Amino acid sequence: MYNLIVFLVLLLLGYGVGQYAERRHYRSIIEREGRLNALPAIASRYPPTQPHYRQALVTGSTVISVDYFKRFLAALRNLFGGRVTSYESLLDRARRESLLRMKQQAASMGAAMVFNVKYETASISKGRGNTIGSIEVLAYGTALIEPRGQ
Amino acid sequence: MKYRNPPIPEGINVSDRHPLRELFVLAGGALLLLLLLSWLLGQFGGRLARLLPFEHEAVLAPVSLLSSDAGPELQAYLDQLGDRLTTQMVLPEAMQVHLHVSGGDSFNAFATLGGNILLYRGLLEQLPHENALAMLLAHEMAHIEHRDPITGIGQGAAIQLVLGMLFGDPNLGVLGSAGLYTQLHYTREMETEADADALQAVQRLYGHIGGARELFDVIHAQREKSGLGEMPAIFSSHPLDQQRIEAIDTLAHERGWSKTGETTPLPPDFTRWIIEAADRAKARARTDGMIPGMPTSPSSLPGHPRPG
Repeated sequence: MYNLIVFLVLLLLGYGVGQYAERRHYRSIIEREGRLNALPAIASRYPPTQPHYRQALVTGSTVISVDYFKRFLAALRNLFGGRVTSYESLLDRARRESLLRMKQQAASMGAAMVFNVKYETASISKGRGNTIGSIEVLAYGTALIEPRGQ
Repeated sequence: MKYRNPPIPEGINVSDRHPLRELFVLAGGALLLLLLLSWLLGQFGGRLARLLPFEHEAVLAPVSLLSSDAGPELQAYLDQLGDRLTTQMVLPEAMQVHLHVSGGDSFNAFATLGGNILLYRGLLEQLPHENALAMLLAHEMAHIEHRDPITGIGQGAAIQLVLGMLFGDPNLGVLGSAGLYTQLHYTREMETEADADALQAVQRLYGHIGGARELFDVIHAQREKSGLGEMPAIFSSHPLDQQRIEAIDTLAHERGWSKTGETTPLPPDFTRWIIEAADRAKARARTDGMIPGMPTSPSSLPGHPRPG
């Protein structure tokens, strides 16, 4: 009985806090994406050769952890199969946040665009999935900075 | 060449399905599966347990918990009433019923393995006449006749064993005697059938069912007094008192049994015998350092101790 109460409190807390944070985060993501849209992030490996851009590595990294509610939903999904929608939104936020952080860094360098953009992901839990459910999403690319004096 | 990032529409990588809806669908499905599994296991375990010959049940009976506090007179009286009822019922030859009295003040009575029936003083002292006592005895004997104790244990053991293995906590204590004692859990169908058979035995014995209904009045009164009230039918494996009384009336009407008739009083010394049983229980508690009787809730009457 006691366990059940703890479980329900955690579930409720996970849902309430998690949903609130997610909505807030999405609002912030969409707002910043609009602001940084002028700085394109391109996947192509072949940057324009003219003018002679200075180049710099830019990275943006996000570490996210899953809340109790989402984890419970995902565990239930394990029984039936199908889209683990509770994790999808989490990872979507992590990807977009990483890209935004990378762009932020590039913008602070005065870059015109970022080329050869790639994503990496790393699981931090590494076999201890029941205790820590965290992963890192890293976005990186080559910032092309317009040469001075042009 | 002009490079740009077109704005990407929302909702491609993320589903806009509400997470709570997802939770209810998934949790509901899981619960349904679990219930179905439990039900199947229960049916299987119950059927399997029924195959055990009655003689072997006695070995499993929690004899140590059934020490009787009844004096020789009370025991003799109960035994002869039990024998008279046995002749009215269709108990097979091998099914020996053993009656025990506990001096504990629990308001309870139940049938358990090996044809053992335990009656508590708390219930006995509330009975108005022999007809109600006969109804109580017949009800418990009907459980034994239907092999409800072993079926209940088989169901409980199968469910607990498999669910325990699924959830990583196989509680094998269910196979010990303490487990046997508390695992007894009869379904509503079992209770209703036991009521019907008991009623028939009482009718045959006394020629009417006049006093039998009053057993349920006593139970109902006790429940009101203890302030627990009746649980809604869905939470209680016992049919509600009112429903039981109605079922009795319907059955009596169908078979043309008389609902009124002269009731047989309990022997004049019955109260004294019961007080003696209580004293014996207290004396035993002092020597053993044990509390007489198992604590049971008054909502589980008559039939079985409700699993905690």
